[in-house]
Amino acid sequence: MQLIDGSKIITEACVRAGADVYVGYPITPSNWFYAYAQKRFPLFLAGPDEISVLQWMSGFSAAGRLPVTATSFPGLALMVETLNMAHMMELPMAIIVTQRLGPSTGSATTGAQGDLLLLRGAISGGCPMPVFCPSNFEDCWNLAYESIQVAIRYRTPVVLLTSKEMVMTHKSFDVSALPEIKKVERETAKVELPYQSYRSGADGVPPFVPLGDETYQVRLNASTHGNLGLIQKGSAEAMANTRRLKDKLEKNIQSFTFYELDEEAGADELIVSYGISSDAARDAVTEIRRQGKKVSLLVIKTLLPVPPAILDILERYKKQVFVEENLPGLLRELIYGQARRKNIRSVNKIGSMIAPSEILNEFAV
Amino acid sequence: MTPPILSRKDMPFCPGCGHGIAVKNLAKALEEAGYDPLDAIIVSDIGCAGLVDSIFATHTIHGLHGRAPALALGVSLGLIDPDKKVIAIQGDGGATIGLQHLLEAARRNVDMTLIVLNNLLYGMTGGQMSGLSTQAFKAGHLIEDDTPPFDVVQLMHEAGAAFSCRITAPGEFKAHFIEALATSGFSLIEVACLCPSHGVKKLKELADVAMGDLKLAYERAPARAEYRETAPLFGLEKPVATANRSTIKERLGLVIAGSAGGGVQSAARLIANAGILSGLHVTMKGEYPITVGAGFSAAEVILSRKPIHYTGLESPDVVVAVTEDGMAKARSRKKEHTTLVLDSKLREEAFPNAIYGDFQKEGGKQGAALYAAAFWLVREGVLEIEALLEAARKHKHSEALVELIEKAGTVNSER
Ligand code: SF4
Ligand SMILES: [Mg+2]
Repeated sequence: MQLIDGSKIITEACVRAGADVYVGYPITPSNWFYAYAQKRFPLFLAGPDEISVLQWMSGFSAAGRLPVTATSFPGLALMVETLNMAHMMELPMAIIVTQRLGPSTGSATTGAQGDLLLLRGAISGGCPMPVFCPSNFEDCWNLAYESIQVAIRYRTPVVLLTSKEMVMTHKSFDVSALPEIKKVERETAKVELPYQSYRSGADGVPPFVPLGDETYQVRLNASTHGNLGLIQKGSAEAMANTRRLKDKLEKNIQSFTFYELDEEAGADELIVSYGISSDAARDAVTEIRRQGKKVSLLVIKTLLPVPPAILDILERYKKQVFVEENLPGLLRELIYGQARRKNIRSVNKIGSMIAPSEILNEFAV
Repeated sequence: MTPPILSRKDMPFCPGCGHGIAVKNLAKALEEAGYDPLDAIIVSDIGCAGLVDSIFATHTIHGLHGRAPALALGVSLGLIDPDKKVIAIQGDGGATIGLQHLLEAARRNVDMTLIVLNNLLYGMTGGQMSGLSTQAFKAGHLIEDDTPPFDVVQLMHEAGAAFSCRITAPGEFKAHFIEALATSGFSLIEVACLCPSHGVKKLKELADVAMGDLKLAYERAPARAEYRETAPLFGLEKPVATANRSTIKERLGLVIAGSAGGGVQSAARLIANAGILSGLHVTMKGEYPITVGAGFSAAEVILSRKPIHYTGLESPDVVVAVTEDGMAKARSRKKEHTTLVLDSKLREEAFPNAIYGDFQKEGGKQGAALYAAAFWLVREGVLEIEALLEAARKHKHSEALVELIEKAGTVNSER
């Protein structure tokens, strides 16, 4: 056992997976990433603001590097336009978002789970990019690796959505139980001639060739473009390219669907949680079962795009309780919208983590 | 002969547009300087100036409004082959909205060339004034705004650009582009441009309203991206086995509260490490106001026989408070069953489970928190003094800590 924190685990996993550039702008509660990255990343740069941070990262990514940053809502808000650019250009990178209490500057040193729907809607046009959410230290390690892997494999920015309590709490932890991480190799693109930066194969992912390549002319574009990477307005080819951004993720989502399902035979009630509230849910489930009631638990780790496998599980349960540290119930809204639903309940809170006892109240007879 | 830099002759601009003149001169400059198309990366912005991609046979990347210099900075420092030439092109509108990016690239002297095509207005959106529109130009456009423009050439020079210059006459464009391209470090060229659709229509007039030509050099080393080999933050080795040497039955929640700079966080961390050395599961987290250097500083430690999931501490078993700042925290955290361990200067009237000691006096400003906590933990047998000492010895200021813990242990044995 050693005393360790989520920031350290995530940073180490990113570098082992092959991330080589960290561009940072200090913001609480993401500062530990900044400090660890300064020690561990092959290249560390301090940006002057979060717009610059993500622009620089996009440049690094276009040149063939794998950049990472960590931020919180105020920084994320500034990044949204460039996030769209990176999504449109199909640039692999990872953005760690450490949630803190909002609105606005809110409380920098208080955790929260308030940014899910911002990420859901961040891309104009509505197609989300992959969002992973660790529920414990094992997840920090594994999902950091998956973020790099998915970013490279599907040429996309990936968000690792954490919260203050996940990355600034020390816990005794046995790191030897973690799987080894191998560097994600970037396959040399199998290029069909003539090369076009946005012509894709069957998986919907165009082979990546970096800017500065000796053989192929690379054209990347943030505006609506054809296969060549030049602006095209309204052409069938350009619309197909735009549609492909959605399809490439949805078509391949099985390969990055992660969740934990603790099903109890005969239970018709399901607790649904994610991120920092998951451990309270785990403790609550143990206690509810100890009291002789049947209950199942679903911890969602791939939040976006919403995996069909998650919807399949939800359909099996008549009664559901969503546990998340925000007021409106953002995950619940992501799944069910604002329509009133019988038997879909929520445990919500702001200002501090939801305690197991607060979930138990929901199950009191 | 290297292949042509331009892939087509027709320009995507209005007839007579100054951007076309500038772009053709840039292509000639690259050709004369011996660049193969794939040796250059054109980073384009938004606006009319951003339409250049399609005419270049080079690598191209078309980004957002005002951000081309920032995107180019990333490309330049990320290049697998740093000999490739990165050239960002933007208009005066782009330079206005993204001025920070120009300053930052110049400050770092990043190896890249930035061309600002200044036609004194926003062309694509209908001719609005930018931060680079001159007073002379605005006066002729019924604009009631005589604010002087940014002089980006001067600004870039001040910020640290290796080369920065402004040219008005198209006849001089090529030679200056060649000079900029040959610069090692950040080079800026602002060129005056016609905009027949919304702005100046004749070169003669342009000379009257444009800012005067200027050329400034600053010899300094360019930014270099050094990709280092680094050591892992931790290895995945099996941990050393720890003996069970704690008396706690299930779980103990401890809050340590003091003032910023009072060693509260490191005391909590040391106790958590001692817990691990005693065969326990532990969590430790800090709580502080927004400014960590002032006001209270508090930390929570949970020591447990079983693995800990939820890391919150709803009702602490013991709260240690050694200053007034910490006392306020202790009052808000204590429950009926909580034991308070307080400095003797502090008082919690009518609270039966309070223990007092001269922790500030004995432990000093920075040691009181650890001293008080160690005193109580050892006294109650929660942790053996040896475990605390072992954790302390791994610390960089081990001597002082060891002394402090030994002293805290002595108080107990004297009782
Ligand atoms: S609007 Fe002006 S700047 Fe834009 S293309 Fe036409 S002439 Fe050139
Ligand atoms: Mg302009």
